[in-house]
Amino acid sequence: MPFCIMCGVGVNMLPRYALTIAGRVIRQLIRDRRTIVLIVAVPMVVMTLIGLSFPEGIVLDRIAPALLATMVLFFSFLLTGISFLRERSQGTMERLMASPVSRPDVVLGYLLGFFLFALAQTLIILLFTIYVLDVNYSGDLWQIFVFQIIIIAGAVNLGIFISTFARNEFQMVQFIPLILFPQVFLCGVIWPVEQMPEYLQWIGRFLPLKYGVDGLRGIMLTGESLVDVGFELLVLVGFTVATSVLATLTLRRGVGG
Amino acid sequence: MVTSDSNQVAVDVNEVTFRYGNIRALDALSLEIPAGISFGLLGPNGAGKTTLIRLLVGLLKPKSGSVRVLEEAPSRRMANRVGYMPQLHSLYTELSVRQNVDFFAKINRLSDGAERARQVEETIRLIDLWSRRNDSVVKLSGGMRQRVSLACAIVHNPPLLLLDEPTVGLDPELRVTFWEHFANLNKQGVTIVVSSHTMDDAAHCDRLAFMRDGRVIAQGSPDELRSNTRQDTLEDAFLYYVRSGGEHAA
Repeated sequence: MPFCIMCGVGVNMLPRYALTIAGRVIRQLIRDRRTIVLIVAVPMVVMTLIGLSFPEGIVLDRIAPALLATMVLFFSFLLTGISFLRERSQGTMERLMASPVSRPDVVLGYLLGFFLFALAQTLIILLFTIYVLDVNYSGDLWQIFVFQIIIIAGAVNLGIFISTFARNEFQMVQFIPLILFPQVFLCGVIWPVEQMPEYLQWIGRFLPLKYGVDGLRGIMLTGESLVDVGFELLVLVGFTVATSVLATLTLRRGVGG
Repeated sequence: MVTSDSNQVAVDVNEVTFRYGNIRALDALSLEIPAGISFGLLGPNGAGKTTLIRLLVGLLKPKSGSVRVLEEAPSRRMANRVGYMPQLHSLYTELSVRQNVDFFAKINRLSDGAERARQVEETIRLIDLWSRRNDSVVKLSGGMRQRVSLACAIVHNPPLLLLDEPTVGLDPELRVTFWEHFANLNKQGVTIVVSSHTMDDAAHCDRLAFMRDGRVIAQGSPDELRSNTRQDTLEDAFLYYVRSGGEHAA
């Protein structure tokens, strides 16, 4: 399976039912035509609006890495968080937890399933930004994409983990600004981190988007390779592992408990 | 068809207590369900029926006492020997009837593709939805969804079925069909535990446990419960036990 190769995990090492669950998640989303159209169209509309609001290409070139990192994190987190919550509110999670399926099966299955759609969405955002908005960049396109894959994996797990604390869609929506805004403001998306008070810089060091923004800036603005941004990559991998463990440990069968 | 030995006890609940915070949902409840019969858990909302079924499935752990299902403590390891139908339809509404049933067959260890396809087809034909097999569940009526939910619980031929209010929302004709199917499964040795708050369901069961406030207030066959209380209906028999306040075994 391609996802497994990308994750560096052999099929035999996967929990037994993860691929079955991933297949079901993919089939479920594919049959929901409206969601598929929105997954494709919404990022393009958002990026077009952003592009039009920056008529000077040089400015867009400079903010593009931060925008790409933020979009990837936001869309992947949202897609997974809401879908996972729905699984619990519909009662299907209770049914899954009463079957031979294990918690790692569920988390990994969802990660693989949503990963595919988040990946497609990220590719659309990336190609649209570069070829339609005509953003200039220095590094290799494939290295930019690989770096984004790591951000997706962390965001998908974060969506699963955070959805554990929401009992309905309204509560989940409240988590979006809580997760997103501190990262946007403290990770150098809008203004440089160095100009912020020391204690805010210190908080920013614990937020994954900072490493996503720094890494993508390194590749896209100064032409660094994945090896050069190895530290940022490593932190994001650590974040992905940590959120997947947390998601597995806190997985609940239903919205009520 | 995997069946259970008719001399065995399918479910053994011993002095089980369970609380949701300060609310005592089950109060030192004991129950023994022989294999191969239809057993009804009857009682009003809040009597503890769903909590008991969730304990039997392994979704909840008792605070005290013990639960044995098919001679084992409920666990993921033996979960494919149990078919569970929750109160909610609990289906993937975007997926088709066949995709839903096939998914639950797969996760219940029906790994052989050809055998699974045969089993899925047989089960969908059994619930009389073969002509709608490729329709999304979202397009089905409430009764049809209930049938699909049952199909997901029985597709892997488990020797024990735990069905939480399976006939709620069904029209009378469909209710009869469900019970005919349950009777057929009993003949094959399958044990069926059904929770319900309607006495119409109770009459179809081989044995019943009347539940109230987390306790079993009476047990026996429908005939025994009626004759012991000298009441004409099970509803009146239930009210008799509620008013007499004690625990009775017929």
